[in-house]
Amino acid sequence: MTAPMVKIDALSKRFQSGGGLFAKPRTMMAVREVTLSIGKGEVLGVVGESGCGKSTLARLVLRLIEPTSGRVTIDGTDITALSAGALRRIRRRMAMVFQDPYSSLDPRYSLADVLAEPLRLQGEVIAPARVDEMLASVGLPAALAASHPHQLSGGQRQRVGIARALALKPDFVVLDEPTASLDVSIQAQIIALLADLRDRLGLTYLFISHDLGLVRYFCDRIVVMYLGSVVEVLPDTRTAPRHPYTRALMDSNFAPDPARRRVIEMLTGEVPSPFALPPGCAFATRCPRASDRCRRDTPALGGDAAHPVACFHPL
Amino acid sequence: MIAPLRALRRPQGAVAGLWLILVICAALFAPLLTPYAYDIQNLPNAYQPASAQHWLGTDEFGRDLLTRLIYGARTSLSVSATAISISVFCGMVLGASAAWFGGWLDRIVTMTVDLTWSFPEILIALILVAIIGPGTTGVMIAISVAYLAQFTRLTRAQIMTLKGETFIEAARSLGAGNAHLLFRHLLPNALAPVLVSAMLATGDAIILEATLGFFGLGAQPPVPSWGGMMSAGSALVFKAPWVIIFPGLAVAITVVAINLYGDALIAELDIRSRLRREA
Amino acid sequence: MTALLKLDDISVSIGNLGLLDRISLSVGRGQVVGLVGESGSGKSLTAMAAIGLLPLIGGRVTKGTVRFDGQDMAAMTETQRRKLRGARIGFVTQNPMTALDPVQRIGEQVDVVSRLHLGLSRADARARTLDLLTRLRIPEAGAVVDAWPHQLSGGMKQRIVIAMALAGDPDLIIADEPTTALDVTVQAQIIQILGSLVRERGVALLLITHDMGVVAQVCDRVAVLYAGRLAEEGPVGPIFAAPAHPYTAALIGCIPQDGMAKGSLTGIPGAVPSAAAFPAGCRFHPRCPRASDLCRNTPPMIVHRTAGQVACHHPGEAE
Repeated sequence: MTAPMVKIDALSKRFQSGGGLFAKPRTMMAVREVTLSIGKGEVLGVVGESGCGKSTLARLVLRLIEPTSGRVTIDGTDITALSAGALRRIRRRMAMVFQDPYSSLDPRYSLADVLAEPLRLQGEVIAPARVDEMLASVGLPAALAASHPHQLSGGQRQRVGIARALALKPDFVVLDEPTASLDVSIQAQIIALLADLRDRLGLTYLFISHDLGLVRYFCDRIVVMYLGSVVEVLPDTRTAPRHPYTRALMDSNFAPDPARRRVIEMLTGEVPSPFALPPGCAFATRCPRASDRCRRDTPALGGDAAHPVACFHPL
Repeated sequence: MIAPLRALRRPQGAVAGLWLILVICAALFAPLLTPYAYDIQNLPNAYQPASAQHWLGTDEFGRDLLTRLIYGARTSLSVSATAISISVFCGMVLGASAAWFGGWLDRIVTMTVDLTWSFPEILIALILVAIIGPGTTGVMIAISVAYLAQFTRLTRAQIMTLKGETFIEAARSLGAGNAHLLFRHLLPNALAPVLVSAMLATGDAIILEATLGFFGLGAQPPVPSWGGMMSAGSALVFKAPWVIIFPGLAVAITVVAINLYGDALIAELDIRSRLRREA
Repeated sequence: MTALLKLDDISVSIGNLGLLDRISLSVGRGQVVGLVGESGSGKSLTAMAAIGLLPLIGGRVTKGTVRFDGQDMAAMTETQRRKLRGARIGFVTQNPMTALDPVQRIGEQVDVVSRLHLGLSRADARARTLDLLTRLRIPEAGAVVDAWPHQLSGGMKQRIVIAMALAGDPDLIIADEPTTALDVTVQAQIIQILGSLVRERGVALLLITHDMGVVAQVCDRVAVLYAGRLAEEGPVGPIFAAPAHPYTAALIGCIPQDGMAKGSLTGIPGAVPSAAAFPAGCRFHPRCPRASDLCRNTPPMIVHRTAGQVACHHPGEAE
């Protein structure tokens, strides 16, 4: 791996919920001590189910929300230490594509306005031909420049979202479930576009998804999160998982082949509330391999440096 | 075509819109439309019923009622519209800052607004006029304060909802600051429902203005206002009923027209649910 | 096996807009039939037509017949149809949050179904509920019956909805994207449970989904819809092994699989046309790699094969 593009160092985020005149606020760790690095040109996948903290992580990495503790360094600059003004300026180097293509575009903006906005925000003048160029780069016809988001399909909107993210020619793009609300046929189109753009522009991606099958197809390295913590980092897409949770995620992915039908080993038990995590391993309540030790002590991410796993009884 | 024009294509929008245009034109061009002056008394001519010279008859001082009605539209519309404009402006500033900055500012604004919200507008207006003193300016301020809570609440609710939209986060991720988010995204998106609700409130404000005028707290004689005219006519109900009936009709039809047109506009803009959310 | 639900060559319109065109399919007892296609392909509309719910959205069957257990649905009165839906058909919707009454305890909501449709006493209904919940692998069913909906997770709620669908001993269950709103691990479990329960009890299941993986895992037959027409229908084995219709092949190819080379997932170009803008000829031709002039001009006939049907001018040719 070349010099890292992004370094995430012991990043944590605590959220408070509720609280008021009579209620005591409850707290949860949405992201707990996450340390990662992303190499230049790498596609790092983060996978997990709802509530695992992957979307919070995405926002922390771009400092769209303030971390409770920890640091994020992007190409040598510690963005967690930057002033508001400096942070706004460095945003040209990093961008984000959002999950919901419906609410991620201002309904009052034409596509030309949407695509011009990032340049305007960074004090650049936009040449009229630039919008057409941006539309073309994501496979949309220039004729759409004057249309408004409600006239487009979900897939087209997501292409606009990608074009907007790339408007300032960033080096690093966070993709937060960019295909989760699209049809599978459109998902495949968007993934192909993202792969093509990465090759053409030498981008570095942080790809957030709940779909391990998709992540294994698209990403170079895979981080698996469960209830705020990283439980395993797969060094490549072929390596067999060692954490029972990763295994369960993988088993939940049905291959489109009736000949490979299988009986899934059921995860019993419920996902604990993130506001009241039990002691020990957070996955122990559902884990078939859980022992008394798992319910008492919290396993640290460790073992093989290239393939770390946070489990007392790895596969 | 823009929504206010599209609303005119709906049947009820067209009828109501036509009436409103008529009233607004009458108010604007009052001196050109009538040969009479609104204030010169002609006592021998008093209590005339409708005739070719005086289409709507004359009042107790022999003044042409139609002339006074047209000049009265000037007072009623300008006072209500100005008051609501002030109210909308202040309400948007207050509501938007409360929603955007949150914290103690939001708490103070919300608390004050909820407090005034729990009194009827007329009560607030009466108290304020009592403090400021009667007259057009006093009424204007009183009405604008009376409706401030409504626009503050509506704007705050709109901005709160919009704040959570992904396009706000997207703009921030590209380096947008507070001013850009507020003036380029949040306020423009909140504007349509606020303006429509302002238009509907103008109808209520006309009634409020007429009520204050009826109590003798509005425009002072001889300047006519619809409420003042009705007040004068209330003593003549049996002797010259037209003196109270026509200004009463003017208020009623105008207010109904504003509401009908407002409904057409709401349907055209498709914002019914967004208006309900606040209430 | 005689079909419990049989759609025979039905067409559906809303106003003057033709939305479904000549769709035939059947579901037998103990059988799981998948109805797949992208959004806008007419899956949910087909299900609504199957159970006579089209009037709700102003639609009507313009051609063909729907038979439930041999009876023609069109010949029934609305009261009879309503009774049929209540007593013999169970529903599982996409969003379990809206299917449960928030102010009633879980147990009561499930009990009421069997009390109403099977005439069970309170005690018998509760026993049946507990048995169902246990079969659905709900841990501590005895405690769950006394819980409120908001106390349960999404996956748990969806299991309750399935229990409600099964409680009246229906002959047919229609499940519209039952797992889309759920987490992947939970999704897999629910699909598995639903499949096995249906087979065990001899219930027919019409499963609406967009996920070919789910179809391969649990269905016996699959009907692929595109833009209101049937593209291909038949048993899953042969269809997944050698899809005759290029749309079926493309849908299968959209699912990332282990060992797939990077760049091999390209999706289907373009998008599903809206009903007002269906293209002439084969409706899939603008997105089809095999499209010829024939496809652009003439809609393909539905060809019945030994085990299924396909509507394509160039079926099963190599890409």
